[in-house]
Amino acid sequence: MKARHIRIMLIAAALLVLWELIVRSGLVSPIIVAAPSDVLLAAKKDGAVFLRALLITVTEIGVAIVIAWTLGIVFGLIVGSSYLVAAATAPVLSSIFAIPLIILYPLLMAWLGVGPLSKVVFGVLAGFFPIALNTIDGVRAVDRGYVNFARSIGATRLETNALIVFPLALPAIVSGLRVGTGLVVIGVIVTEMLASLGGLGYVISYHRSLFDTGHVYFGMALALLIALGVNIALTRLDRRIGHWRLQQQGES
Amino acid sequence: MPVIEVTGLAKDFRSGRAAVHALRDVTFAVDEGRFVTLVGPSGCGKSTLLAIMAGLIAPTRGEARIEGAPITAPMPAKIGMVFQDPTLLPWKSALANVEFPLALRHVDPATRRKRCMELLDLVGLSEFADHYPHELSGGMRQRVAIARGLAQDPRLILMDEPFAALDEQMRTRMGHDLLDIWEKTGKTIFFITHSLTEAIYLSDTVLVMSARPGRIIATLAIDFPRPRELDIIGSENFGRIRNRIWHLISERGE
Amino acid sequence: MSAALAGHLIFAALLFGGWELAGRLALVDASFLPPLPQVGAILWGFLHHDAFIGDLVLTATEVAVAFLIAAPLAISSGFLLGERLHLAATFNPVVHLVLAVPQSIFLPVFILAFGIGFLEKVLFGITHAYFIILVNSFAAVRSIPPALVAAARVFGATRAQVYTRIYLPAMLPLILTGLRLGMILCIIGVLLAEMYASRRGIGRLIFSWGESYQIPELIAGILLVSILTIAVNEAMRLIELRVGRFYRNAAGN
Repeated sequence: MKARHIRIMLIAAALLVLWELIVRSGLVSPIIVAAPSDVLLAAKKDGAVFLRALLITVTEIGVAIVIAWTLGIVFGLIVGSSYLVAAATAPVLSSIFAIPLIILYPLLMAWLGVGPLSKVVFGVLAGFFPIALNTIDGVRAVDRGYVNFARSIGATRLETNALIVFPLALPAIVSGLRVGTGLVVIGVIVTEMLASLGGLGYVISYHRSLFDTGHVYFGMALALLIALGVNIALTRLDRRIGHWRLQQQGES
Repeated sequence: MPVIEVTGLAKDFRSGRAAVHALRDVTFAVDEGRFVTLVGPSGCGKSTLLAIMAGLIAPTRGEARIEGAPITAPMPAKIGMVFQDPTLLPWKSALANVEFPLALRHVDPATRRKRCMELLDLVGLSEFADHYPHELSGGMRQRVAIARGLAQDPRLILMDEPFAALDEQMRTRMGHDLLDIWEKTGKTIFFITHSLTEAIYLSDTVLVMSARPGRIIATLAIDFPRPRELDIIGSENFGRIRNRIWHLISERGE
Repeated sequence: MSAALAGHLIFAALLFGGWELAGRLALVDASFLPPLPQVGAILWGFLHHDAFIGDLVLTATEVAVAFLIAAPLAISSGFLLGERLHLAATFNPVVHLVLAVPQSIFLPVFILAFGIGFLEKVLFGITHAYFIILVNSFAAVRSIPPALVAAARVFGATRAQVYTRIYLPAMLPLILTGLRLGMILCIIGVLLAEMYASRRGIGRLIFSWGESYQIPELIAGILLVSILTIAVNEAMRLIELRVGRFYRNAAGN
């Protein structure tokens, strides 16, 4: 393990040096590709601005995540608990999901302005559908036998749903959360790029229009950090939730 | 005094446009502390009958009563169930699974822990109390399910082909152990199975059901003395009874 | 009537019915939500307006070119990786890293590198479609039961026959799903690029309507794009289903 890590780091370092040389030598214009040194310079020069923007973006993402998770899971649980309602609703959600939701953003922009609100609303919109769909699937997939068992020991509808169906559906719900949360992050950052008063996307866009490629790359790196950070956090969650499920599936 | 009385039970289902007659005029009674098994061909309605007796579905005609009271809904204090699939909650330990019905009733932790450890001991799994279902074999999971079915101390235990998913050797051993548990607890057991051998070996009485629409076509008293050892299965008497049941089923069958 | 159809009809009824009602009862400011008939008329007008059709065709062309380049590339890469697992071991972490990273974020970099013309849009669309189709094609190759291939070899099938008779039908369903998802992502990528920085195209049109508060046109444009993308999605899904059923039956022989 250790040796592999070292090898990867060496390769990464070598690539960075190669990258620097290619740009410095003039093979590629520094406007098109920023050298690593340009990126670091940008960080040093305007680090504070970027950090402030980062905070705004992370806040918007955080709020959107909380709302999208809540709406998606609750909606999915309610719809999923009835075969008929689920059969009628899930296909509609799927169809809407096929629409490139980004085209709705100008409407949100017109209605809600270009401040954080339109970003959060769009983020919630982007995340809602996969979360709801996966929750519905998860609930529907729970074996009928468990429900029979719950009834036979005298559990109420609520107890059955909360204590038995919900935990059984959790793995599916969490995979929906993974997809949905990723979409929330993209949604917020991209709409900030399109039209915003602040936030990481806005700063990236601003510097792009000035051809400050070093700044653009630095902003991208920060955006990637957010995306990867969210991904890692969710992978942790997935692993914790599913440890018994993986074993189970291994047998059946 | 019969614990369970079933009179004129009939059940019809709608499947698409057609009506399916699952049960027709089923009548029998089970006395207290007896082990009664129902056998019949596949699809004859055995599981439907069990579901009605458990209060999970309502009959179209007739009724089922337990200790005189009509069964219209599940009665967990009086009727316990063991299904073919153990349906253990995978994120709970064996002990927590057995405790689950009592936890729902808000029985205090100390009491229910003591009681459930006794039950796990009864089914021979006290060392596995902290194990999770995925760490247990199929037979062990079913034992946990049996312990769970006994948790609320019901009079009657309904069992729907509980050993059908196990291999033959495990199945035979589980049957033997089940008789052990039955004799120690004195419950009334109503057991459903495909296996004639299992039915004869385990029960005091075997009810034979016809193919759909299911009716009771024969009631056989099984007189082997108790406790029963596994070698009675090879005896001539056993074979005769099994042949008899087999003929009954195949004559009135498909 | 199937539940899915009923669901769609109910949703459409609620959406358009509610909208019409809001207009009739003047529940909402007309500048916020113009009445349904007005938007409908504008939408109808679009279809007869040359400039609009021109923009629509441009966007569709960008999507089509990107897709037609990305799809074969991705399918063959996926096939190659699936067959040569040692290659897969090397590239897998890279692919997963890329998928974990939202490609849409790279738009500004694309624009710095490739400008804002046709090429940049197509390239952006390609990156969106490529990876998802790759992953699905890879899974498709891996999903072929080795027992099936072994049996075919035993019966003396040539290499070509194994590929066409066994591989192809077995892989088709997953590949078709990948293509459908790739198409959706490709459309998203192209539209996003147009909205962000472009001179022409439907994305640019819609965004500029938003900027200038031309709400009736904006909503009409959104409706049109929605209908078109849903239609494309459903058409591809239908093909998926048909082919899946056909090959399932064929596999039974």
